[in-house]
Amino acid sequence: MMPIARLLSKRLGTSLLVLFGVSMLIFAIARIIPGDPARIALGPNATTEQVAALRAALHLDDPVWIQYGYFLGDLLRGDLGVSLYTNRPVTTDIAQFLPATLELVLVAGFMMVAIGLPLGILSARYRGGIADNIVRIVSLLGVSAPSFVWAVILMLIFAFYLPLFPVAGRISDSYSIEAVTGFLLVDTLIAGNFRAFGNAAWHIVLPAFALALSGIGQATRLTRANMVETYDRPYIEMARSYGFPARRIANRYAFKPSLIPSLTIIGLDFAAMLGNAFLVEAIFAWPGLSRYGVAVILRKDLNAIVGTVLIISATFLIVNIIVDLLIAFINPRIRLSQRSS
Amino acid sequence: MKSILKPITAMALASSVLAAPAVANAGGTLRLDEVAVGEIDPSKASDYADSILMFNLYDTLVLPRQGGPGHEPHLAESWEGSGTEYTFKLRSDVNFVSGNPMTAEDVVFSLERMKAMGKGLSYLFANVESAEAVDSHTVKFTLATPYAPFVASLVRLPIVDKQAVMSNLGEGEGGMKDWGEAWLSSNTAGTGAYKVVSHNPQEETVMEKNGGYFLDVAEAAPDQVRLRYGLEAATVRTLISQGEHDIASQWLPPEVIKALANDGAQLLTESGTGAFYVKMNTTKAPLDDAECRLALANAFDYDAAIKMIAVTDEVSQGSAATGAIPVGMFGANPAGNGLSRDMEAAKAHLANCKYKPEDINLELSWIAEVPVEERFALLMQANFAELGIKSEIKKLPWALFAEQVSKPENTPHISQLFVNAVTGDPDTLLYGMYHSTAAGTWQSPEYLSDAKVDELLDAGRTGADDAAREAAYSQLNDRLMEIAPSIYGYDRQSVFAASTRVKAPALSDPEKAFGLDGMGFTFRLMEVAD
Repeated sequence: MMPIARLLSKRLGTSLLVLFGVSMLIFAIARIIPGDPARIALGPNATTEQVAALRAALHLDDPVWIQYGYFLGDLLRGDLGVSLYTNRPVTTDIAQFLPATLELVLVAGFMMVAIGLPLGILSARYRGGIADNIVRIVSLLGVSAPSFVWAVILMLIFAFYLPLFPVAGRISDSYSIEAVTGFLLVDTLIAGNFRAFGNAAWHIVLPAFALALSGIGQATRLTRANMVETYDRPYIEMARSYGFPARRIANRYAFKPSLIPSLTIIGLDFAAMLGNAFLVEAIFAWPGLSRYGVAVILRKDLNAIVGTVLIISATFLIVNIIVDLLIAFINPRIRLSQRSS
Repeated sequence: MKSILKPITAMALASSVLAAPAVANAGGTLRLDEVAVGEIDPSKASDYADSILMFNLYDTLVLPRQGGPGHEPHLAESWEGSGTEYTFKLRSDVNFVSGNPMTAEDVVFSLERMKAMGKGLSYLFANVESAEAVDSHTVKFTLATPYAPFVASLVRLPIVDKQAVMSNLGEGEGGMKDWGEAWLSSNTAGTGAYKVVSHNPQEETVMEKNGGYFLDVAEAAPDQVRLRYGLEAATVRTLISQGEHDIASQWLPPEVIKALANDGAQLLTESGTGAFYVKMNTTKAPLDDAECRLALANAFDYDAAIKMIAVTDEVSQGSAATGAIPVGMFGANPAGNGLSRDMEAAKAHLANCKYKPEDINLELSWIAEVPVEERFALLMQANFAELGIKSEIKKLPWALFAEQVSKPENTPHISQLFVNAVTGDPDTLLYGMYHSTAAGTWQSPEYLSDAKVDELLDAGRTGADDAAREAAYSQLNDRLMEIAPSIYGYDRQSVFAASTRVKAPALSDPEKAFGLDGMGFTFRLMEVAD
C-alpha cells in the first residue's frame, strides 16, 4: 500500500472510533443538562398531559442505554430525528445551516492563510525593522481579543459609522438565488449572476474577517517565530554564502520547513472556527450551524444537539486528516516513516 | 491619521459601490424581527413570533374588538349560543390561498387537527367535545361543561384548508398520518391577508399580500413582509440606523430602545394582556402566613419598579398595577389607582405574622434568561431588609426553574414571572395561576389553595353573561389582594422601536388596540411609506 494511502486508512479508522466515542459522550452529556426537553419544547403554556405525551414519543422515560439504542438504529438509517427547536428533521436543518457556516469558515480560513502567512514571512525577513514591529503589534492585537469583540468593533466602524459594508445576512433581499450547493458564492456563479456574487462576497467580508483575525495573528506570529529560528540554521548561512537572493532564501529555504508547525496550528484553528463562529454568526445574523448549535443547546433539543456535535466533530476530523496529508506531502520524513512501518 | 483613513475609506467605498446592489429601500416592504424560531404551523403556535405569523397567514372565526372588551365576527358572520352549545354562521365569500372555498368542514377539521396534535395552545379546546358541520356554512360546537370564555378562545383556532392538508399528509400512524404537520411547517393553507413566500425558522419568513383576501386591504399596507429571527441588539440598532429595518422586537434592552428613540425612532406599544407577578410560595414558612405575605407586598417599592423599566419619560415597559388583574380586563380596578409602597402597613402586617423577621431568610429567585429580574431581586432584597428580613438572591435558568416548581418543597420562596392571557380573557391568565387544581406549574409557584378563590375562578368561567363575569372577577381581584399570594408588580406593556416610515394604528392608538399579544402586528392594518 502507498504510504499516503496507508496513512489515510489508518486516520479514517481512528476517526470513526472517535466519532463513536463522541456520539456516546454527547448523548450522555445532553441528558445531564438540567431541564425537561419536552417542557422546554412545548413552551410554558403546555399542559402536563402534553408534556407527558411528548416525553413518551421521545422515549425519554426509557433508560439511557435504550434511548442510545434507538438513536443508533435511526442513525444507521440516516435519521437524526426531529428538532424540537425548529420542528423539522435535524438532517434538514443541518443541510440548510451547515453550508453557510462552512462558507464563512472557508473564507475566514483563506484569509488566515492569505494574510497570516505572507505577514509572517515579511516580518521574519525584516526582523527588527519597522515592518516587523508593525506586524507584531497588529498580530498581537489579533490574538488578544476574541472574534466577537472584533465583530462588534468592525460592525461599529465599517457598518455603523462608515456604512461601507452590510450589517446582516448573506445576501441582499433583492436577490433570489436557487440553492444548489448551499454555498452562496458558488450558487451565484452557477446562476451566472455576477452582481449577486459580488453582493454575497460583499456580505461575507466583515464576518469572515472578524472570525479570521485571531487566526491571522496566530499564523503570522507562528510563521515568523519558526522562520526566525530557521534563519539561524547553517544551510541558510550556506545559501547566503552562495549568494542566493534574499527573496529566494525566504520563500524557498526558510519558509517551507517553517510551514509544517504553522500548518498544524492553522488546521486546528480552522476546525475550531466551526465551533467558535456562533457569536460572529449571531452578531451578523448569519444563518449558520454554529448559531443553530448554541440555540439547540439552550433549548435542550436532544436530537439536534447530538446531530450538530457529530457533524462539527466529523468536519473537525476531516480537516485534521487533510492537514496530516498535507504535512506528509510536504515533509518526506513522515512519508518515509509510514513506508517503514 | 486622517490622511491614512481617507484613501482607505475611498477604496472601501469604491469597492462597496461596485458590489452594492440596487436595493437600499425596497418599496412597500416591512422588515421586523423576533426571537427565533418562527413556527408557521398554526396548530403549534404558542409564542409571540408564532402569533404574529398565525394572525397574518390564517384567520379565526372571531377577532377581539379593537379598543375595548368583547369580540367581533371575522370568518363568522354571526354566532349564537351559551352554556355548552355554540353555533356559528360562516361567511360565504372566503377562499383559502389555494383557491378552495372556506366551509364548515374546514372549521371542524381545524379543531380536530389541533386537538389530535395536542401542541401549541390546544389545551384551550380540551373542553370542546365536538364540532359538527350543520351545513356548508354553519358549524356547531358542543362543550363538555359550560365555559364562558369559549368565544374568546376561538381567537386561537386558526382555520386551515382541509383539502390542501389532506393532499399533503406526511408519514405517520393512523388514517390521518401526520395531520399534514411536515407540510404545514414550510407551507401555508390559510385564508390570511398574507401568504408565505419563503420560510427558514432560524433566519427569516418572507410573506406577501394575498391578492384574494376577503376583506379590503389598504394599498399602503406592506406588499411584502420580512420577519427576521434572532437578531442581536447591536445588529438591530445598526440596521435601523441605516434604514434597513423597520420595527425592532420588544426584547431589546430598554437602553437600546431609548437610544433608538433618541435617534428619531417612534415607540409603538401593546398592552392589556398580562402583568409582572412576584409569586410567593404559600406552602413554605414564613409565606404560609398571609400576614407575612401582605407585609412583603406592602414593602415592595412599586414606583421604583416602574422607573426601572422606563424607556423614556413618556413610555415605559409597564404601568402601575391596580391589583391582580391588569387594567382593561374583566374585574380590573380602574387605571389611576396604582398600588404604592406603604411601610406602615407592612410593619403592621409583619407584627401580626406568626414568624419573627429575624428568623426569616427568603430565597429570591430570578430567571437567568430575563436579566431585568435580577434588578427586581436586588430591589426586593433592599425593600425587605427595611423590615429586618434577610434574603438570598438565586439565579435560575428557565429549564431548571420549570423543573423545580413541580414540587412545593423545591419551589423558591419567591419567583418572578411575566404572565399573559393568551386569549385576552382573564380566565387564561388567572385560572392557571391561582386555582388549586392548577398548582405546581411554571405559572403557579404560589401553590395557592383557597376555596373562595377557586369558587370565584369557577364562577368567572361559567358566568351567564358579561356582567356576571365582571362581578366574579372583581370579587376575585379583591380576594387576591386580601390574601396576597403574589406581589402584583406592574401591568406589562410591550415597547417596540420603529422607523417613522411605518404606521401601526393597533400599536399606537388605544382605540385601535386589540388587547391580545401579537395581534397589533396585523400587517393589513399597517402602512409603510416608501
